[in-house]
Amino acid sequence: MNNNKTILRSLILISYVLIIALVIYGIAAIFSYLNTGADRSTMLHTGVKQIDQYSPELTWAPLANEGRSMDEENLKAIEDNYLDAWYVKHVAYMTNTMTGIDDFYTKSAQLNIQNVISINSESNTFIEATTLAHYPTLEFFSEDGQLAVLTDHDVIEYKRIFSNETLVAQVNEKSTYKVTLLLEDGFWRIRHLVRIKSEPYTPEAELNPIAVSNIKGINYYPQATPWDMYGDNFDSETIAKDLKIIKDSGLNSIRVFVPYDDFGKSNVSEVKLEKLVAVLDLAETYNLKVLVSLFDFYGDYSVLDWTLTQRHAKSVVNALKSHDALLGWDIKNEPNLDFKKRTEDLVIAWLDKMIDFVRSQDPNHPITIGWSNTSSATLLNKKLDFISFHYYEDVSKLSEAYTSLQSKIKDKSIVLTEYGLSSYSGLWNPFGNSDDDQKDYHQSMQTTFSENDIQFMAWTLYDFAEIPKEVVGRLPWRQNAQKHFGFIDENGIKKPSFKYISTKE
Amino acid sequence: MSLKYLYISLTIVASIFVGISLKQDYQDNDYTLTSNSSIYTAGDAITIKFKYNGNSNVFLYCSNSYGSIIIKPELDTTLNFKIPESISNKSGTLNWELRSDKKLHAGQIKILPKSEIEKTETYIGPPSIEAGGTDYTMLVSIPTDDLDNPIIDSTEVAVKHQFLEQQVIDYIYTKHGFGYKNLYSYEKRGRILINTECLGLNSKEFDVNVMPTIPTNFSISADRIHNYADGNQITTFKTSVIKDRFNNIVSDGTFVTFFITNQLGYKASTSGTTIDGIATAKILHPDHEELWTIKAYIEGMANSEPIALNYEQAISDFEVSFSKNNRLITVGPLQSFMQQYIPDGLNVYLNIYKAGKLEHQIIEQSINGFASFKLKSDRYPKGTYTVEIKAAGLTKSFPNLIYE
Repeated sequence: MNNNKTILRSLILISYVLIIALVIYGIAAIFSYLNTGADRSTMLHTGVKQIDQYSPELTWAPLANEGRSMDEENLKAIEDNYLDAWYVKHVAYMTNTMTGIDDFYTKSAQLNIQNVISINSESNTFIEATTLAHYPTLEFFSEDGQLAVLTDHDVIEYKRIFSNETLVAQVNEKSTYKVTLLLEDGFWRIRHLVRIKSEPYTPEAELNPIAVSNIKGINYYPQATPWDMYGDNFDSETIAKDLKIIKDSGLNSIRVFVPYDDFGKSNVSEVKLEKLVAVLDLAETYNLKVLVSLFDFYGDYSVLDWTLTQRHAKSVVNALKSHDALLGWDIKNEPNLDFKKRTEDLVIAWLDKMIDFVRSQDPNHPITIGWSNTSSATLLNKKLDFISFHYYEDVSKLSEAYTSLQSKIKDKSIVLTEYGLSSYSGLWNPFGNSDDDQKDYHQSMQTTFSENDIQFMAWTLYDFAEIPKEVVGRLPWRQNAQKHFGFIDENGIKKPSFKYISTKE
Repeated sequence: MSLKYLYISLTIVASIFVGISLKQDYQDNDYTLTSNSSIYTAGDAITIKFKYNGNSNVFLYCSNSYGSIIIKPELDTTLNFKIPESISNKSGTLNWELRSDKKLHAGQIKILPKSEIEKTETYIGPPSIEAGGTDYTMLVSIPTDDLDNPIIDSTEVAVKHQFLEQQVIDYIYTKHGFGYKNLYSYEKRGRILINTECLGLNSKEFDVNVMPTIPTNFSISADRIHNYADGNQITTFKTSVIKDRFNNIVSDGTFVTFFITNQLGYKASTSGTTIDGIATAKILHPDHEELWTIKAYIEGMANSEPIALNYEQAISDFEVSFSKNNRLITVGPLQSFMQQYIPDGLNVYLNIYKAGKLEHQIIEQSINGFASFKLKSDRYPKGTYTVEIKAAGLTKSFPNLIYE
């Protein structure tokens, strides 16, 4: 009895100590949480990191302004702040808040934006907008360097208007603005903005498509670095060897991918570009043409991101556009898979503008979009030089699918830019296809190609050991299937299907 | 059989009916613009009207200089789209598009600024300029109407300014929403008062200072109470009134440096800033006979001719006495030009040589006409030293003194 009492007492005592300890720990945690705050140095905004948020095409007219002669630094400051002013305005109308407006508009100009916002918030309207081109002329720069006036000609504006959460209108406008800017607190702020001209804008739709013919190709990644072709393990010798295999097998072209993030988004890495050019150089030595698929793994599409994607495209396209090995531009790989998450009209609008932009940078190479199936392949077909689609379905139905697509798209080349069969059968898919099934698949595909005169690019040269999770996710049955699409296995031995990688001439 | 016919005919009738009604529906949605005016003045009430048949569930997209909105119609016999005041108040091009499922109606309306103004924003800079008629300040005038729209181009703005006896009015015309005028300086220093007038509205007064331009060469003089090199009195240098080439006295605070070169070519400097065009600077007399050459500079801009100053020896001789063990040396009395004991602070140098090599130099300042040196035995152990005393440019040597 006494013993029990002692046990009980000690239990109570211990639990008391425990509770106290927990309470103290809790208070201490709260206290230390409240004591951690922003670094004091951030109060001064000394190290504001410049990140690209908004960079539409902007071309200054040759300087011939009145007043003080302009110098490069001031012009750059005006340009940056002026574009920032557009950016914060877009954000303001997208969210119906005044965030950031006071940095780039003077007090009296802010009022005008406030008025529009209050009308829009009342009617529950939100506007996603961007400008894609500016052609400013500097009219005047005051002697004391505090006031500048410019005329921004032919601003290409694109707006998506949402009313009660639904898209009700897409507007394209071309406008000319007179802008008066004042230098206040180190910011060039808009004092007056007067739109002197504006009209609906539709870029010229007339297109003489550039045809492509006799494409027999393959989608290419080096075996060791699939989806990471331009990283530290870039090895031109390996690529040269692979391209020789491709050339010797009777193919005449390859399709490569330019990952958007990996290449540095709007600020394209020179090093990566050099590697990409090196791939095209090698292709040229083996007499292969290269279809460059842009914006791989890009998935944002938001209107305010468009100018950044255009910067990206500008760098890549201009680096390659005069290369002899370039076959053409594939704007994006399988963008129709993003329809669900990003809405079809947004993706289509982005593609539409991107086609125009790439064509404006390089009018001499054909443009296509690598649709993942035949049903999407008719989208935007009027704007493309040739149509490309991917086909991973039943071989026997290809001929029919191709013919029906052909009937919908007249007078344009159609290329099958991805097809293939995984030879994986194992733990995750015991009923999968064998190497011989794959051989049969490619044999009958080649027969269909010959019968229907289909241009093709197979998926892919190699079996891969590792697939990045961004490609097909982490699920092992998907990963393993994706590993075995190659014509050459992990050990570098040609699989039976290799015989049917191309039609021998 | 008949049932089958009935069924078929019913289907046909139904489909025709549906077809007609669909077609009608399509035709019915018809909109015609009835408000024709396309030029308004800011502040006018603007209503865009459409005659319509069919669906009235449409909206008008409308954008002005600053932003875009959508407007729902007020229903009447026509569709009336009333442009909100804050939109119709802003000058510039207003775009509108009627958004229906049918063909797009679009148009533009030009909104002009009002023709009377409410205020003029005037910017003047730089706030001070140089006399002489080449430098100028710029006046920028942005007249706006009461709705804060920049006034229409080619509006006349009078730029008025006053300087000394002159009053001038210049007329400028606005372009790109503003007008500007360069106001050149005059030859005299002073202050220009400026104001602008546009459409009867006057601005407040602005001023711009006309500062003297860069100085021209000048002369200098020296002032001293006697010409003895006593190392104690002060010589004051002074410039003439420094002026620019338009005879304006230079700005107060102009920095003048006086460079002094002595007989050996060594330089010293002293400086001062101008007040009413005159700069003064001071320097201590030398303590021995000297001939100074002084030249003043306003760096990079102007300078004076050199002047020469002669200082006579004030101390003609002095005595040196040694204590018994030679370790206490007293120099003095040091007497100046009237045999007066010189004021405290004359530097007296003692050089100690051992075997022809300088061992040490001690500097003492005179107090009450005397300077004394103590040579401690732990610093200067026993041996033979030569002692040399220098003061006021005079040197006395005591060779081979024996220290125990």
